[in-house]
Amino acid sequence: MLHYVTINIDGADIKAPKGSSVLEVAIEYGICIPHLCHVPGLSDIGACRLCIVENVTNGRAVITTSCTLKVQEGMAIRSNTDRIKRLRHNIAELLVAEAPNSRAIQDIAVRCGVKEVRYPFRNSNCVLCGRCVRACAELWHANALGFVGRGKERHVERPLNMREEFCKGCDYCIQLCPMTITPCDGPMKPGEEYLCGKCESQLMITEEVPDSCAWCRLGEGFNCGRYAGLKAVR
Amino acid sequence: MPHLNTKEDLEIMGKQLLLDREKINKTLIVCGGTGCTASRSRDVIDALNKALVIQEMDSEVHLRVTGCHGFCEQGPIAVIEPGNIFYCHITPEDASDIVTKTLKNGEIVERLLYTDPVSGEKVRTESEIPFYQAQDRQLLFQNREVNPQSIEDYIAIGGFSALAKAFGTLAPEEIIREIKVSGLRGRGGGGFPTWRKWTECREVPGDEKYVICNADEGDPGAYMDRCVLEGNPFLVLEGMMIGAYAIGASKGYVYVRNEYPLAVKHARNAVQQARRFGLLGENILGSSFSFDVDVARGGGAFVCGESTALMASLEGKVGEPRPKDVHTVVDGLWHKPTTLNNVETWANIPSIILNGANWFASKGTKGSKGTKILALTGRIKNTGLVEVAMGTTIRHIVFDIGGGATNGKAIKAVQTGGPSGGCLPVDKFDLPVDFDVLYEAGSMVGSGGMVVMDESSCMVDVAKYFLTFLQDESCGMCVPCRLGIDRMLEIVTDITEGRGKLEQLDLLEELADTVTQTSLCGLGKTAANPVLSTLRYFRKEYEAHITSSKCSAGVCKALIEYSIDPEKCTGCGICLRACIHGAISGEKKEVHIIDAGLCQRCGICKSECKFEAIQVS
Amino acid sequence: MKSLQLESILRGRSSQPHQLIEVLQDVQENYGYIPEEAMREISQTLGVPLIEVYRVVSFYKIFKLKPNGKYVITICNGTACHVRGANLLQDQAVSQLGINPGEVTDDGLFSIEYVNCLGACALGPIASENGNFGHHMTPAKLRKFIDSIRSKEREEVGNASPQH
Repeated sequence: MLHYVTINIDGADIKAPKGSSVLEVAIEYGICIPHLCHVPGLSDIGACRLCIVENVTNGRAVITTSCTLKVQEGMAIRSNTDRIKRLRHNIAELLVAEAPNSRAIQDIAVRCGVKEVRYPFRNSNCVLCGRCVRACAELWHANALGFVGRGKERHVERPLNMREEFCKGCDYCIQLCPMTITPCDGPMKPGEEYLCGKCESQLMITEEVPDSCAWCRLGEGFNCGRYAGLKAVR
Repeated sequence: MPHLNTKEDLEIMGKQLLLDREKINKTLIVCGGTGCTASRSRDVIDALNKALVIQEMDSEVHLRVTGCHGFCEQGPIAVIEPGNIFYCHITPEDASDIVTKTLKNGEIVERLLYTDPVSGEKVRTESEIPFYQAQDRQLLFQNREVNPQSIEDYIAIGGFSALAKAFGTLAPEEIIREIKVSGLRGRGGGGFPTWRKWTECREVPGDEKYVICNADEGDPGAYMDRCVLEGNPFLVLEGMMIGAYAIGASKGYVYVRNEYPLAVKHARNAVQQARRFGLLGENILGSSFSFDVDVARGGGAFVCGESTALMASLEGKVGEPRPKDVHTVVDGLWHKPTTLNNVETWANIPSIILNGANWFASKGTKGSKGTKILALTGRIKNTGLVEVAMGTTIRHIVFDIGGGATNGKAIKAVQTGGPSGGCLPVDKFDLPVDFDVLYEAGSMVGSGGMVVMDESSCMVDVAKYFLTFLQDESCGMCVPCRLGIDRMLEIVTDITEGRGKLEQLDLLEELADTVTQTSLCGLGKTAANPVLSTLRYFRKEYEAHITSSKCSAGVCKALIEYSIDPEKCTGCGICLRACIHGAISGEKKEVHIIDAGLCQRCGICKSECKFEAIQVS
Repeated sequence: MKSLQLESILRGRSSQPHQLIEVLQDVQENYGYIPEEAMREISQTLGVPLIEVYRVVSFYKIFKLKPNGKYVITICNGTACHVRGANLLQDQAVSQLGINPGEVTDDGLFSIEYVNCLGACALGPIASENGNFGHHMTPAKLRKFIDSIRSKEREEVGNASPQH
C-alpha cells in the first residue's frame, strides 16, 4: 500500500507517493525541471545542480536540488522563479562551455535559456554526471567504472585500468552517457567550438509555457523520466 | 591503576593529587607543542633534564612538559614557578644557566627574558607580558597547568569534576538548558547555537547515537584546535562526555587531521588513560552512563572538515559531502543521529557546567558569548594564539595585542575565517569579533584564523591564492563548485596577468553568486567569499590591474619588473648566485644587471640582497 | 624499514569495509606508498570493490601510488606562510631539484610536496624534511639545506664503494 502526501509545486497541489523525490513527482505530472545526472532507477546524487528548486519553509526559500529532496506533507516548491531560472542558466552555461561537443549538453543549455557563452570554450569529453558509474554499480553490481581523483582531477576510470576483470559488457554506460549524443553537424574542431542553439524551435515551447513537458527530443535521447514512464506503460 | 568507580573516588583522588602537587618546591614548565618542537624544544627539554640530574635537583624540581601556550614565535619557552619567570628563545646551551642560576640561586638570566617589541623593554614575569595581559585566556591558560599525557595532572586541577557535577545534579535536559543560557555557538566556523544542535539530536528516537569531535582544522593559518587538543586532550574528552550524556550517545569519535601527528598521539593516549581509570567505558563513575571514544585520522582533505564529508570518511569512504536537507543530527554517521562539534566548542563545555551559564554569558556581545581563540598571524609584531572575549574589536587585536605592523609597512587588511571568510580593510577594524557582525560585513569569524596583511600583499593575488586552494581541495562532485571555482580562478588569473577586462568583474560577481547559492556543501557555498569581499572593499585594485596594468603591491609577476639600483649595488654577487633563472650578470665589485627577458620575477634575489638594491616597479 | 606486513595489517579486519582508510594509512606508513597488489588484497579481504579502494587512494593526499624520494621536502602553503613568501621557497626547491611536486629526482633522493598548513603558522614560512621542521625559512637556507643533504649522500656513497 503506497502512502501519499500532498505537496504544492508552483501553485498546483499534487499527490505524491511517500519516499519519492520532488523531481520524480514533477516529471510524473508533466512539470519540466531540467536535469542531467538524474536517471530513473538509479540513486540521485545532486551533482549537476540543474534541478534546483526553492523549498519554501517558515517563510524562507531554501535552494536545493529536487532530485535529493524527498516529499513531505505540506511542502511548498517553486521551480521556476526568476532567481532559479538565472541560476540554472548560469550552471548550464558552465556546462556547455566545458563540454560543447555533445548535443545533449547543447540542448540543455538552450533549454535553460543560454544565448551566449561568456567563458572560453573547452573540449572536455566528460561532464562527470556519474550516470555510467551509478548504472555500473547499482544495476549490474559490476563496479567496473568509478570516479577517481579529487576536484579538477576527478575523472571516470576503470579499476587499475583492468576492463576484462569486471566489465559485464552491458553497454549501459555508453547508452546513458550524454557525451555519446553528438552534435548534428559532427564533432567540433578544437578552437572552433560554438553554442549551437539550432533546436531552439522545439525548446522554445518550454519558454512560452514554462514548466510544461514538451516531449522534447532532448528528453528522449536522454532517458528522461517521462519517456521511462511511457516505456513502462507499453 | 586506580579505577574510579564513584564520584567520591574521583573527588578523593583529586584532593590527594592536588596536595601532592602543592608539595612540589619548584616547577619548570616547558612547552613541547608542535610550534616549539619546530624550534627544537625537545633538545632543550633533554638538556634541562640532564642539567637537573647533574645539579642533583631532579627530585626537587618538577619538569612539566606542556602543550602549546600559543606564543609560538617566541619558542622554545619556559616558565619557572615560583616567581613566574618567563624565558623565551631558549637553546639547549642555555639549560645549565637556567638550572644553576635561576632554579638553584633564584637569579634571572637577562638574555633569556622576553623583550616587548612595542616598548622595547624586557619583561620579567609571564603575567606581565603585554601579549598575554591583553587576552582573556580561559582555555589557553589551562595548557600550562597540565602535561597533556598525564590524566593525573588533569584530575589534580579539577578535571572531570564537571562530569561528576553533571551526573550528580543535572538531568540531560537541564544540561542542555545551561548550554542554551550560556549562548555558546559553534567554534568551528558555522557559529550554530550548540544547544539547538543538542536538542534536535536528543529528540530523535533511538538508542544508537554518536558524538564527534571535529579536529580536522583545515583552514590554513589556523591552529587553535591543534593547540587545545595537543595541550589539553582530557578537557575535550570531558566536554564530549557531558555532551554525550545530554544527548543520549554512547560512542564518540575524535577525527584528527593527519597533518597533526602530535595531536593524534595525545588524543589516543588520553583515551587509553581515561579507559584505564574507568572514566570511559561502562557505568562511568557509578552512573548508568556508558561511553567510549575512538580516535580516527584524516587522510589529507580539507573538505573532510565539512560534517557530512567527515562522517563519510569515518565510514571508510571518500570525503564527499551529502545534501543536508535532512540534518546530520537526525541522519548522520551510519545514518544514526549524530552531534558533531568543533574541538573548541567541546572544550568550553566543562567550564560552563562548573562556573554556570551566566558566567559564560557575561562575556561577549548579545549574539556572541564567551571567549574565542584566534590565530593571529601575518605581518604584525606579535603573532600567535590569542584568546579574547567576543566583541573585542579587530583594531584592539591587531594593534594592541598584535603590536601593529612589522617592518614599518602600512597594514592594509585582515583576512578572517580562512578560505570561507573574507578580507576586511583597515576602515572596518572597529568592527567587533562577533559572528553576525562579521558575516554582515562579508567575512566571518569562522574557526578563528586572522591573517594580517600589509601593503606588500596584493588583494587580487590573495583572491587567487584562496581560489587555488579551494580548487585543489574541492571534492569535484558538483558543477558549480568544480567548474565555477575553476572559471573564477581563470578570470582572476587573467586579471593578475594583465589580460583582464572590466566586464569580467561583473561576470565574476555573477558567477560568485551562482556558486554560493547552488553548491551542494559548505565548501562551495563559501568558496566565493574571498573574491566577493576583495571585490567589495578593494575593487580599485582589481580595476588598476585591468585598466592600468598596475599591481601596486608589486606581487603580480606579469605586471612588475625587477631592476638593480646602481646607487645601492655593491657588486657582492649574492643575487647572481641566488638567481635560479640565470638572469643576473655582473663582475665582482661592479654594478650587476638583471636581464628582463630571463627574469621570472620570482623574488628570490630581492629576499637575499642585503643592500636593498633590488627594486620592483 | 617497514615493520608490518600487509597480512598483519589486515588481520582482524576481514569483511569490515569501514576500516578501509585506517588500513590504507597503515600500508602507507609501512610501505611508503600503496602498491597495486596491496589494493587488490585489501579489496578482497575487506569486501570493498577494487574501484572503491582505488578511489579512496586517489582522493586523499596522504596516499601515494609511487614511493617518495628518500628525502621529502615539504613546503607549507598555508595563508600565513604564503603571506610570508612561501612561493619563494617553492620556486627555489623546484628549480634546485629540477622536479615538480609529486615527482622524484632521478637519483631517487628527493621529492617535493606542498602541504596546506602544518599548524605552525607563527613560525612561517615553514619547510620540513621527513618531520624535521625548518622555520622562518628563506630560499638561501633551503638551498644550503638541500646542498648539505647532497654532499652527505655523496660522502656516504664514497665511503661505501669499494677501493679498486
